[in-house]
Amino acid sequence: MKTLIQLTVNGELVEAAVDANRTLVQFLREDLELTGTKHGCGLGDCGACTVLLDGKPVNSCLVLAVQANGRSVLTIEGLAENGKLHPIQQAFVDKGAIQCGFCTPGMILSAKALLDTNTKPTEIEIRTAISGNLCRCTGYQKIVQAIQTAAEEMTAKEGS
Amino acid sequence: MLLPRFEYHEPTTLEDALKLLHELGGNARVLAGGTDLLVKMKRKVDKPSHVISVARVPGMDQIIPRNGHAVTIGAGVTAAELARSELLMDRFTPLAIAAGKLGAPPIRNRASIGGNLANARPAADFPPPCMVLSATLKLKSATGERDVPVNDFFRGPGETIIEPNELLVSLHIETPPPWSGGSYIKLGARKALEISMVNVAAMLTLQSADGPIVDARIALGAVAPTPVRAFAAEDLLVGAMPSEELFQKAGEVGVGMCSPITDHRGTMEYRCMMIEVLTKRCLTEALARAKTWKP
Amino acid sequence: MRDFQVLGARAPRLDAPAKSTGQAKYADDLTMPGMLYGAILQSPIAHGKILNIDASKARKLKGVRAVVTAREAGLVKYGVSPARYDETLYCHEKVRYVGDEIAAVAAVDLETALEAVELIKVDYEELPAVLDMFEAMKEGAPQLHDEFPGNVTAEVHQEFGETEPLMAQCDLVVDHTFLSKRQDGAFIEPHSCLAVFDLQGKLTLHTSTQVPHYVMRTVAMVLRIPVGDVRVVKPYVGGGFGPKSEATPLEMSACLLSKVTGKPVKMNYTREQVFLHSRARHQFYAEMSLGVKKDGTLVALKNKAVLDGGAYTSFGIATVYYSGSLLGGPYRLQAMKYDGWRAYTNKPACGAQRGHGGVAHRACFEQLLDKAADQLGIDPVEMRLKNVMVAGQTTINELDMSSLGMKECIEAVRNGSDWKNKKGKLPRGKGIGSACGFFVSGAGYPIYRSDTYHSTVVIKVAEDGGTVTVLTGSAEIGQGSDTMLAMIAAETLGIPLECVRVFSGDTEYSVDLGAYSSRQTLMTGHAAKEAAENVRRQIAEVLSVHMGRDVDDITFRNGNVLFRGGPGNFEKLRQGYIKEHRGWTDPPGGDYFTFREAARLAFLEKGTLVGTGKYKPPRLGGAYKGAAVGTSPAYGCSAQVVEVSVDLETGQVSVDNMTDAHDCGLAINLTSVEGQMQGSLSMGLGECLFEEVKFDSRGRIINASLGEYKIPTALDMPNVKSIVVESNEPNGPYGAKEVGEGAIMPTIPAILNAIYDATGVRINELPVTAERLYMAMKENQKKP
Repeated sequence: MKTLIQLTVNGELVEAAVDANRTLVQFLREDLELTGTKHGCGLGDCGACTVLLDGKPVNSCLVLAVQANGRSVLTIEGLAENGKLHPIQQAFVDKGAIQCGFCTPGMILSAKALLDTNTKPTEIEIRTAISGNLCRCTGYQKIVQAIQTAAEEMTAKEGS
Repeated sequence: MLLPRFEYHEPTTLEDALKLLHELGGNARVLAGGTDLLVKMKRKVDKPSHVISVARVPGMDQIIPRNGHAVTIGAGVTAAELARSELLMDRFTPLAIAAGKLGAPPIRNRASIGGNLANARPAADFPPPCMVLSATLKLKSATGERDVPVNDFFRGPGETIIEPNELLVSLHIETPPPWSGGSYIKLGARKALEISMVNVAAMLTLQSADGPIVDARIALGAVAPTPVRAFAAEDLLVGAMPSEELFQKAGEVGVGMCSPITDHRGTMEYRCMMIEVLTKRCLTEALARAKTWKP
Repeated sequence: MRDFQVLGARAPRLDAPAKSTGQAKYADDLTMPGMLYGAILQSPIAHGKILNIDASKARKLKGVRAVVTAREAGLVKYGVSPARYDETLYCHEKVRYVGDEIAAVAAVDLETALEAVELIKVDYEELPAVLDMFEAMKEGAPQLHDEFPGNVTAEVHQEFGETEPLMAQCDLVVDHTFLSKRQDGAFIEPHSCLAVFDLQGKLTLHTSTQVPHYVMRTVAMVLRIPVGDVRVVKPYVGGGFGPKSEATPLEMSACLLSKVTGKPVKMNYTREQVFLHSRARHQFYAEMSLGVKKDGTLVALKNKAVLDGGAYTSFGIATVYYSGSLLGGPYRLQAMKYDGWRAYTNKPACGAQRGHGGVAHRACFEQLLDKAADQLGIDPVEMRLKNVMVAGQTTINELDMSSLGMKECIEAVRNGSDWKNKKGKLPRGKGIGSACGFFVSGAGYPIYRSDTYHSTVVIKVAEDGGTVTVLTGSAEIGQGSDTMLAMIAAETLGIPLECVRVFSGDTEYSVDLGAYSSRQTLMTGHAAKEAAENVRRQIAEVLSVHMGRDVDDITFRNGNVLFRGGPGNFEKLRQGYIKEHRGWTDPPGGDYFTFREAARLAFLEKGTLVGTGKYKPPRLGGAYKGAAVGTSPAYGCSAQVVEVSVDLETGQVSVDNMTDAHDCGLAINLTSVEGQMQGSLSMGLGECLFEEVKFDSRGRIINASLGEYKIPTALDMPNVKSIVVESNEPNGPYGAKEVGEGAIMPTIPAILNAIYDATGVRINELPVTAERLYMAMKENQKKP
């Protein structure tokens, strides 16, 4: 039996009938065709499927779509506005924080959740914030630098 | 990985939740954060025909201070909320530290304290802190309720005293007396996303900043089928003046309370030695906090 | 003189915006109307005879469209190296590891496909399994392959120089043994593919691979269809690191199921299946003796290797050769003896992974070097400096070091890490260690014996002359090869980087052996450069006629045409261009004739402007057996200094600082070079401290997940001081060579040497878990 759910995805209201055993990552990728959210392990071990649920990073492979009923989901597709990259995305591009790119959407969303609550994070706070997002390519260094740069950019913008 | 099919229930009152549990009993599992249950279901270790989400049961996600005397923590409170709570970090330190070391942020934003306790993994992060804080667990069913000291809660790996029709609703913890301090240490390979090889929580209460120990509690995880209190080590501490030698001895005694196994994460021999080291360290950290206790 | 307009910069990657917004499509992001989902049945036992396969129930399940077994697939043998084709798509007589493929199903959805897989009933006669490489080679051990008795995939015996007599003359001979563990690639994207046969019977396979070319050939061979009927398209790939360098049963199953059903078929490995498929780093056992002179001169090396290969050969022959050949440098040796064996065991097959075959043996050797330095009272960094080879020298096994900034790398990390003030001066529990290494810039020979070009590239110019398109079969897998090729094309054509588009990873575009053995920059880079030169020449030739100038007087730079002696009189030509593009808002302007106008002129003369380029290495290496493995047109090299803290009470190791210098020839894109360096170190750190695929006594993997198979998190990896050392590689395009793999070589031994410095304990088994180090320290205390 399917359940009718209503949730906000990237600012837009979405209504759908879903099976109870459908995970949020399946719902986003297969039903809404938001394939920017990646599927890496299915068990909450890698963080590739990270989305923001009511502003907080979660592994969407361990959330049922029905559990997102009435809530707000932000995926990587919801970050750039009018074709302009979000400062975190721009910093990832500029600083070489992206290699294969498969961890990138989750990584950027974890960074966003951090910077939304902490505008001047220390390096250890940044590393902790992305510690649930595994990256095999970069050694994390340029990702950390990108988040630092984005934090500065965003603070500067706030100030001006 | 696909989840098996099941029927989903999302009660919005405690009464409805308990009623569902009463009716479905052993065929149902309670879903809070899902970070344990959904993993087990994907791995086909567990295949319930009904899943009851308690996410919309009012009050399950709240930390309620009781006038400085105690705190009540809803079973659905997430690790992230616990780690963020200043009250907990201040007065119930081992719990807050453990919350900040569980998994990683995306896990902490979902994993609940109730789920972590009810899953009863021997290496789980929350049982040792709850044990040294002498938490009382409130279990409710459609026919009644009972308060269970956390020490009596665990029965074996994955097993607790919860009846199929019961729901773990909340934890109640009395505020430790003045000159108390506590800590929590976990030993794993990585600095995040880790399952402990050994974990230790400790609480110490001093008579005064420089006084003798009047109360001591040590709990150890991943060293026996259930997390254990190291009573003999605690007895050794109570009444004594704290010192490195004393803590070392407490660690040695603590080992005697454990029956660790050898598995792919570590051998029995190493675990025993680490119980000693970590107990000593955890007591040292607890002491530092007790000494600097502020009203 | 170095005067580049594009190269040597920090260019943002071409694909970064798409990847940062979620627009980049990976294989599992692709769908097609009417698409079916496939699933594979894998053996639950490590070794057994297949008595019967009954798929009747699966075939009857509603929603199932096809079930295929060896009967439908046939028994074409395949593998990586034609000398050891030892796999069939599905097992027919016996299974050889837990995970061996038996059948595949296509159904309307994944749930149905998985259900059908469970309905296939297989009767086995279980056979004794052998899970240990030493046991496997003993007499009486269970045999995996009738064709390869004794469970030996390959053995190597090489000697260069007179090892024993030279050893006898040495002042000191040090020994060390070393045991590494089976690794997993642990790329974040599991394998995924989508296969579709069109109505003409032509196949297109979209797949997450490092090697579209080899996949194309293997699929064609196994499915018995012409190579030209197979098109392999690589979408964005979420990392490979080696294990995605060969055709998989997943890909071939999807192709076969699509052929049988006439529908597109999507298939994915779960994370557990990634571990079961493996093809990742072998387990290595190394036994070495190193003879040195009192003054620290290295003289002779004896090296013995045993590799646990798992159930099939995969890349294994090359692997076991590499374990010997990659110790030929970067130090001068007068003699080297190597004996290596690769054993079959009832476990998933191992293959190539970053630093193919060389990592464990490098780790053993660099510890040995430190041991010798320690006993001779020589600073280990100075001892390395004393023995390094320099550009122009040839190793004892005939590898030509056409450029080699090894000395510069060592000096850079020595100075960059403040080595002199730290070595021997840190308190107990803190340690510093160093190591070096080198690696090929592309294997000298293809995997199959052939005179094929290793890379061809097509460059096409848009009809208006404004955009240049690079078409290549090379594989962007995250390393940045697309951007590298765009930069080389832009530099060669003298146009801005933003005028270049790259279409890659498609076997229809060109021949390219793919992303393995760190070959894309040197080899595809060469082909791209040649293709661009070809286009440039065609334009210059047309222009020379129109302008009445000698071809040699025409050059291109920053999108402009420079004529020797001045900008030239091009007003009439410009007016022609503008007239042709009436209404367009970006007419060419400025004081110079532009590349765009010139290319348009060439188009009007010759039709679509296309230039091709090609590359294959010259004949390389010696004449001895196995001389091909280890050859390369060029070698990258690196040196590292690592500082660690060891918790003496628990054995926990924390890597505090890493200083890394790498010689990549010319650094085409500095940011990407650093990214490869840092990523290599992270993988090395993981292998050193955490990573091990573990099995139970029945050959089942215990930790087939990223929770229990531990790769470093952001909290485990320190910042790396990355120093790019540039030599000018004569055989590389614009002097460039590899960085993708050489950088991992020194990491493990540098950490191990630092641990020794911190604790006085030499570790001879990976990973250095807290327990392993703690127990070793305890054992050490017992010694008098």
